[in-house]
Amino acid sequence: MPDMSKFADIKIDPAIVKRAARGDARAHEIIYRAFATPVYSICLRFTRVPAQAEDLVQETFIEIMRSIAKFRGEAALGSWIRRIAVTKSLMYLRSAWTARSQSLAEDWGEYTAGDAATHGVSAHPDDALDLDSALANLPSVSRTVVWLHDVEGFTHKEIAQFMGKSESFSKSQLSRAYQRLRPMLQLEHEQTASDAELMRSC
Amino acid sequence: MAGDRKEDEMIYGLTMDERDALQQGLRRLPETPPPRVVWDRIRAQAEAEGLIKRSLTRRPSTWYAMGLAAAVALAVFVAPGLLRSPEPAFPTIPPVATVAAQTPQESLRALQVESRQIESDLRALPDDPRVMRASTAATIHELEERIAAIDYQLNEPGAQLSPDNEEIFWRERVRLMKTLFRLRYAQAQRTAF
Repeated sequence: MPDMSKFADIKIDPAIVKRAARGDARAHEIIYRAFATPVYSICLRFTRVPAQAEDLVQETFIEIMRSIAKFRGEAALGSWIRRIAVTKSLMYLRSAWTARSQSLAEDWGEYTAGDAATHGVSAHPDDALDLDSALANLPSVSRTVVWLHDVEGFTHKEIAQFMGKSESFSKSQLSRAYQRLRPMLQLEHEQTASDAELMRSC
Repeated sequence: MAGDRKEDEMIYGLTMDERDALQQGLRRLPETPPPRVVWDRIRAQAEAEGLIKRSLTRRPSTWYAMGLAAAVALAVFVAPGLLRSPEPAFPTIPPVATVAAQTPQESLRALQVESRQIESDLRALPDDPRVMRASTAATIHELEERIAAIDYQLNEPGAQLSPDNEEIFWRERVRLMKTLFRLRYAQAQRTAF
């Protein structure tokens, strides 16, 4: 799958990266300004709590400052930063799950078909929330897998490594998430058809 | 290939078209910028841990400090001689009306007010763009360093600047701030269009 992530669109002059490696505050600020929004967005997608996402952004950029001297430029800077942000976010999620004495699998177990009315998207299109809300209402594991796979372009193997799980775990999480998001697709399809019909009648 | 697609459709319960539509919908979701204060926190932690060089608004580089010391020496030892000279070697164009009308204290206050105004104008400009030419970034960085060096001198308790020297520093600060504003404004204009 090609890298469709927004991180890939951001280019930083190698001279800025070199200055950052020497601890230049201004260079680090330029890197922060360039990547703060996608990093914060990914952290917020995973945690859903702004204060936690802010802490993760801080941890991510501090890690960048600690490690940028070791960055050799073999991968794009954006991919490297994204990997740090994802790792930090998953570490946070894992620690939250640990605090609740729950495993990743158990987290999914919280969410059953009968819980749809309270946790997720209703099967009825009229009650469906928009895609953003539908995604936010997925359990954290499924939401994370969907985002990593469909938006960031990671493979199931990579996701499995991130999460310390098997590839089939990643695939099953994605499959279950799709089941929950499917009503959204129907709604969007109907909306598109309705818009097209409206345009034809004008 | 067709077999893989079929298998994927079986596993995920969505046709390839439906998956494409979903993926496109997800990628179109808006991004959210973090609050401005997050960078301040990061910088404070990084400075505390020694990961970045301390912000020059607090500690100027030695070169700038030395340059400013030279400027002060120039102002103290050379400028009085020039002022006494009946025909200055390089005539300047002072703002005659204001100089004539203002006492040194008033002149200093005017510069401080002007400096604050430019700072306020700078804050009103949008943030730096995501991608900036290295040369522009370097120029902005240099201007900020020079302003920071002046701030250091003005705020240094042991400096004991004479009113004349203080005015020289403030005048230079205003000049640099104006240059910085023009640069940042031009950058913002380029980004907007």
